[in-house]
Amino acid sequence: MPGLFKTEAVVLRSFRYGEADRILHLYTPDRGRIGAVAKGVRRIKSRFGGRLEPLFRVALVLHEGRGELATVTSASTIHPHARLRERPESLRRAGQACEAVLRLFDTEEPNAPVYNLLCRELALLDERAEAATRAQALAFRLKLLLAAGFAPELAACASCGEREHLGAFSASAGGVVCVGCEAGSFPLDRSAHEFLVEALTRPLADAPAAPESALAQADRAIAETLEHHAHVRLARVA
Amino acid sequence: MSSLSPPVNRLITELSRLPGVGQRTAQRLAFHILRLPPEEALPLAEAIREVKEKVGQCEVCFNLAVGPRCRICEDERRDPSLICVVEEPSDILPIERTNEFNGRYHVLGGALSPIDGVDPEDIRIPELLERVAAGGVREVVVATNSTTTGEATALYIAEQMRERSPNVAVTRLASGLPVGADLEYADEITLGRALRARREL
Repeated sequence: MPGLFKTEAVVLRSFRYGEADRILHLYTPDRGRIGAVAKGVRRIKSRFGGRLEPLFRVALVLHEGRGELATVTSASTIHPHARLRERPESLRRAGQACEAVLRLFDTEEPNAPVYNLLCRELALLDERAEAATRAQALAFRLKLLLAAGFAPELAACASCGEREHLGAFSASAGGVVCVGCEAGSFPLDRSAHEFLVEALTRPLADAPAAPESALAQADRAIAETLEHHAHVRLARVA
Repeated sequence: MSSLSPPVNRLITELSRLPGVGQRTAQRLAFHILRLPPEEALPLAEAIREVKEKVGQCEVCFNLAVGPRCRICEDERRDPSLICVVEEPSDILPIERTNEFNGRYHVLGGALSPIDGVDPEDIRIPELLERVAAGGVREVVVATNSTTTGEATALYIAEQMRERSPNVAVTRLASGLPVGADLEYADEITLGRALRARREL
């Protein structure tokens, strides 16, 4: 319905449009992912300043017309995430988080847990330089899978329900599998399995540490689950 | 449209390819060109032909150049030990207008953006690192845009330079309040940086 509306949003991505405008991809708690145009934002004296740069969490007033894109009419900062912008690794991880949300949640269907998760991830990367790790990035991606409804089965064999001898992962089966159901799977070490369980159950700020080999297996499990169930191929979390 | 002759249609089609020019504007421009006497209309066509035939890239800094090197790289009064890194050739003009910079430039041709698939090899970062490693450079001023992608590019360049050419200073353009702007409209990052970089009067 055309008219003004207010919403909170995280700016996931922006690109230049026209002489001084930008098109924004926003993730909102109540409208999912929306597109908007910020007019004149590239001018030095724009009243928006830097508030509509990617990674900003903002409170917006937008005008919805008949077109696909809303127009930003006002923006105020909720969290600028200023510190993470000055640390290359934190900035890289924040970009990965935004990309995952952008690719996995590309409709206007609202998903407040995804919004909250993204806000927590960006705040964490901003507060703690040491949070910019591969393990933490994987924990975030795993929780996104949960929010999207694609969390892998980790407690029992996804094929037969067996609770012992779980040594492999099968995206097509939907989680860990036992020795008897290994077809089409790849080996998953105990440490990788434990990492997946703990990363899914612990708070985001307490992502577990794990050896690189376990993280590589966890990364593969998450990537294959995304590809198989969500048909989304994301760059691996290096 | 179909009532117009093919050459006019072609002119409208070509004009409408320009950025920010829609079909209606293209028609207005086409009819304006048609009304002009030949001595006013043809220089436009000639100017387009000339830039496409003669203007290329400087082999040193990748600025626009007629011939192998741009005018800035050929100017011996410019300090070759000071390199200003910009995203696009158009970014050189505002810096030149300040009359504050007497070094040379390096045009990257974009900014890093993994989300859009732009990696260091896709812009001229390897060429910059090679140019600096060849010697004779004391400072690299990173003047990429003050955007998330511009900042990411600046951080990456600083990191690479620290590893490969540790004796070369890497500086970043300061960010702060634009002259003539009201404080109440400043965003938190800009104002925060302006406060941190405040100077004694």
